Amino acid sequence: MVGTPVLFIAIPLLAAFLIPLLGMIWKELVRIVPGLVLTYLLILAVNLLVHVLAHGPVVEVIAGWVPPIGINLVFSVFSGFLVTLMIFLGLLVWAYSYRFKRNVDYEPALKYFLMLMMLITGSVGIVLTGDIFNMFVFIEITSISGYGLTAFYKGRDSAEASFKYVLLGSVASTFLLLAIMIIYSQLGTLNMADIANKIHLMNPTLKIVSYIFFVTALGIEAEIFPLNGWAPDAYAEAPGPVGAAFAGIVVKASVYAIIRYTFTIFDLSGAFNFLIIIGMITLIVAETAAIRQEKLKRMLAYSSIGQMGLVLVAFGFGTEEGVFAALFLMLNHAIIKSLLFFSGSYLVYNSKCKYIKEVNGMSKFLPVTSLLFALGAFAIVGLPPFAGFWSKLSVMTAAADSNMILIMVLVLMVSVVELVYYLRVVNRIYFFKKETAIEPKKPTFNALVVMIVLGVIILAIGFYPDVVTGVLHKASASLMDKSQYIHHVLSLRQ
Amino acid sequence: MEMIHIIFLIFLGGAVLTYFSGKISKVLQDIFFLASVLVPAYLFFAYVGAGREATLSLGGITLIWGVNHFSWLFSLIVLGLGSMAAIYAIGYMKGKKRKGYFYFNFILSIMAMMGILLSIDLISFFIFWEIMTWSSYLVTIYNGHDIQRIGIKYFVFSAIGAYAMLMAIVIVHHLTGSFLMSSMINFYPNMSLSMQIWIPVMFLLAFGVKAAMMPLHVWAPDAYSNAPMAYTSIFSGALSKMGIYGMVIVLVTMINQIPQGFWFREVIAWLGGITAAIGTLWAIKQDDAKKLLAYSSVAQLGYIITGIAIGTELGMLAGLFLAVMHALFKGTLFMVTGAIEKQTGTTNFNEVTGLIRKMPWTFIAALLSIIALAGIPPLGGFVGKWMLYESLITSNHYLLVIVIFFSSTAAFLYCYKFLFGFFLGQEEKEWAHVKEAPAVMVVPMLIMAVMMFVLGTFPGIILKPINSGLMDLGFVDSFKHLWESSVILNVWGNHVVLQPILYWIIGIFVFFMIFLTWKGFKTTRYVSTKDISSSGEVPADDENLTFSVGFMQPFMRAVAPAMRRQIDKYYNGIADGLESLFEFIRRIYTGNGQTYTIYVIVFVVIVLLFKNILF
Amino acid sequence: MDNTLFGYLNYAVYGTAVLVILIGLYGTMVKKSLLKVVIGLSVSDSGLNLLIVAIGYYKGGTAPIFSPGFLENFKSVSKMVDPVPQALVLTAIVIGFGVTAVALALVIRLYRHHGTLNIDEIKNLKW
Repeated sequence: MVGTPVLFIAIPLLAAFLIPLLGMIWKELVRIVPGLVLTYLLILAVNLLVHVLAHGPVVEVIAGWVPPIGINLVFSVFSGFLVTLMIFLGLLVWAYSYRFKRNVDYEPALKYFLMLMMLITGSVGIVLTGDIFNMFVFIEITSISGYGLTAFYKGRDSAEASFKYVLLGSVASTFLLLAIMIIYSQLGTLNMADIANKIHLMNPTLKIVSYIFFVTALGIEAEIFPLNGWAPDAYAEAPGPVGAAFAGIVVKASVYAIIRYTFTIFDLSGAFNFLIIIGMITLIVAETAAIRQEKLKRMLAYSSIGQMGLVLVAFGFGTEEGVFAALFLMLNHAIIKSLLFFSGSYLVYNSKCKYIKEVNGMSKFLPVTSLLFALGAFAIVGLPPFAGFWSKLSVMTAAADSNMILIMVLVLMVSVVELVYYLRVVNRIYFFKKETAIEPKKPTFNALVVMIVLGVIILAIGFYPDVVTGVLHKASASLMDKSQYIHHVLSLRQ
Repeated sequence: MEMIHIIFLIFLGGAVLTYFSGKISKVLQDIFFLASVLVPAYLFFAYVGAGREATLSLGGITLIWGVNHFSWLFSLIVLGLGSMAAIYAIGYMKGKKRKGYFYFNFILSIMAMMGILLSIDLISFFIFWEIMTWSSYLVTIYNGHDIQRIGIKYFVFSAIGAYAMLMAIVIVHHLTGSFLMSSMINFYPNMSLSMQIWIPVMFLLAFGVKAAMMPLHVWAPDAYSNAPMAYTSIFSGALSKMGIYGMVIVLVTMINQIPQGFWFREVIAWLGGITAAIGTLWAIKQDDAKKLLAYSSVAQLGYIITGIAIGTELGMLAGLFLAVMHALFKGTLFMVTGAIEKQTGTTNFNEVTGLIRKMPWTFIAALLSIIALAGIPPLGGFVGKWMLYESLITSNHYLLVIVIFFSSTAAFLYCYKFLFGFFLGQEEKEWAHVKEAPAVMVVPMLIMAVMMFVLGTFPGIILKPINSGLMDLGFVDSFKHLWESSVILNVWGNHVVLQPILYWIIGIFVFFMIFLTWKGFKTTRYVSTKDISSSGEVPADDENLTFSVGFMQPFMRAVAPAMRRQIDKYYNGIADGLESLFEFIRRIYTGNGQTYTIYVIVFVVIVLLFKNILF
Repeated sequence: MDNTLFGYLNYAVYGTAVLVILIGLYGTMVKKSLLKVVIGLSVSDSGLNLLIVAIGYYKGGTAPIFSPGFLENFKSVSKMVDPVPQALVLTAIVIGFGVTAVALALVIRLYRHHGTLNIDEIKNLKW
């Protein structure tokens, strides 16, 4: 047997609680244990994904309560792919931040890794769970650890960013609970498959209202405009690797939730167009806001928001091609944006305000980091032969096949804007003279290894996209096949 | 593994090896660089013939590469000029920093251009198109001068073009279910009228940017003059021809199939004509050789565009012949400028004069290319221009002939300025130490100068391949009848009409040159620019009396009204407007958490209000 | 009479719950003091909890508690109110508590950093 989905939640949760205890034995364990746990989970996830690719989804029943009464976890190709991606990114974030700041001593490191484990637990839980209230709990776990991680640095304005996150996060949880309760009061069940089965019985108005509440609540986490006010601040003030974790893990989980609600649970015909509209608005506003940013991490944050908008647009096509494109985008975004955050944090490492102009001339001091940042910038704007190109191509193909000419024009125009601000930064790194007296910081060995690994992945996908397209095709097929999802979960009743 | 695969692998591996070998030894780097340009060039011409195909399957898309006579012709430009420029670059880049960076992008550009020419499917066409764009962009910003404006401008224009092309490609894929060029062309007559118009327009947008066609040309002068000269010679000589290559394919294989195609061709021909006129006027105004040549490139590309847009066999021949010639003479002229820059450190006419005795070989290369550029027999430019005029007149474009003729005549002014400004004129003490450029730079220039001479005298050498290329595109082999009807073409054909006359002209020319030189050496006195006095006034020391100062001022005054409206300004206006719009959008994020909460509530309320429309 | 009155009462509970939520949101959006903002969050949480419990309740239901001899009487089992919302509310309360704690901790940090609780003055991060 290849392990069960529940391990992906139980083990990191257990590890999060054991970290302080183990720290009492040997302080270094605080840093080592998360890595071991994540490595183990990654092996587990890959094994399970291989198994699922061959034999179909694995449905885990918690504590013997069969659905629709009990909570169940579903490891399909779609959710399994995302879980694997998240755990992989979690591992990279761990490796990168193993000794991110030398002055971070035992106590903060303990908190950092504890909250990171919680963050991963929550996000993985969101993706795996088959129960909407359980999803609410995981979202809260993710958010609360997110608040903590955002406020990690005491010297900066991180508390302010975190407070905004708390404010919007609480509003999000209010709407989420409201939506859940509307559904429960109508259908008397919390199981996703069961709801999907019965959704046609629901009062149409209440159905729409609950969908809107769901999208609002999850949209706050998934950084949809105009719900994403917290995001730029949080990205800018959180430690660099946490920015990568937000972009790669938290947001992915929230987008997954929106997609699950739209594709599987609700049967609203207008929902896809709604996704396209809000995705487009998010894309346009975020990318155009990014071009005038003065701080590097804020720019990356807006770019990240914009990319998520594009992901929603691609999902909104509602075709299997669109889903494939969106998943490809999510994968590329996770990898490339992490690389940008990782290398970007070293480019402005010792600066207090992280202004873009402070990266001027950094290529002389940090050649490898600069090269990797440039690689990431080229990849994320979709220049061939790097990874981003293939996802952009698949988005465009999907759009053309859905006859979305206007969307194509807008997306491509926004791409030009994106191109401009990334190239401006890369130009600064390579061709400008260093102005400030800020001491550049050489990346630590493990950070360098992580960045190079990401760079190699970007090149690998760029030169040979077949390494991932097979899984992505299966994953998109598994999302599109709604009846099979319901069947797999509810057949456990017998 | 096909030879085409091997060629691409050598390019790619060579680029990486060249980049990293610089860390070990500079000489090794030079060797790797030369090898990774010359070896694939040799392999291509020796082993890759028409009909050879290679495939590669990526991400569910099959990329197909192959060569036909038409792309072979352009490969000749790319690899021929590329090899010459590569040899030249060894000398030019000696002692400069960021050598590995330059070489890497140089090789990648050559690879990308070959990829474009070999692509049979649209995806690999697009991939290589983009690689070409970013590698040339990276070279453009090589010297770091004003790159946030020049570099970004180039990339933005290229990206807009490329994205338009991407849209066309995916729409074609949607309509035909295939990425093959041939299926696009075959399906084209069955498309709806709007698609029949929009798809070529989107492609032409991409090609027009690279070919510096009129409203899309504003990036070109800056980018051409900003890149290192060793690269600009292929930038202007070969890379811009990719736009021409694409235009020919779109015009011939698609637009010619529909009745509206006539208007397309008219518009593009006129845009080409206007490009030529504007480019020429601005070229005359320049005091910097790089800028002058850059504008001149724009102008020359205008002739080529006009030629191919006319669409008759003769027009095509003229355009493509000019394309080959332009690669030769403009490549050489940029190399000359590079050599002068290398030896003197500047390319401003007002500073450098009288280099003829210091750099005689460079002068000969420059002289021959200028003659070719100006279209004086017996060099190649003459043949091309003759054919262009002939094709314009035979297709009743009399007004266009006037425009082309005007710009072609005005071109003499800047040709003269280039030649006189650098080489003739008084010798300055400041440049007394200047020596001839190293052989590795001079030899490629001279080889190309000789090529120009040969092609001018025997244009058939290149017209034959052009003809078979056009036959591959679906033109009937009407070369035979053109052979007889066109006066100039007889030079190489069986009916020898002009050839003896030409030899006479050459003979007289050479004799005259020898005579002048011999006579000149005896009687010339070398003076400095300050060795004059007018009305008893002795010029002050700081007064710049170089020949080219204030050159052609009356003429410039005459055409000044036409040059006041710069397209550049409109683009800048748009860019400024957009930037302030973006600034406004940025301020949506007020920084107040409560505002964000209100946004959330407003979002919910709006969506709830419009729920009946949305869902 | 009993019936209608109870029906109105039922709606009144929903109405009250929604009103409390709205009051909380109002406080969050409008009040300038950070503490009041946090209180607003708490208030809207409470309203939400009230709403959830109200959804599970129905007329004449009894508490969903098993006692000895309870199961024999099928009628009393069917008279129990829905226990699921109550379980959910317990979870929601715990989460709300956690969030409030985090928010208050942040308020303390903000006060130390800025020396004020006025949300308008804490605007270092914008645009």
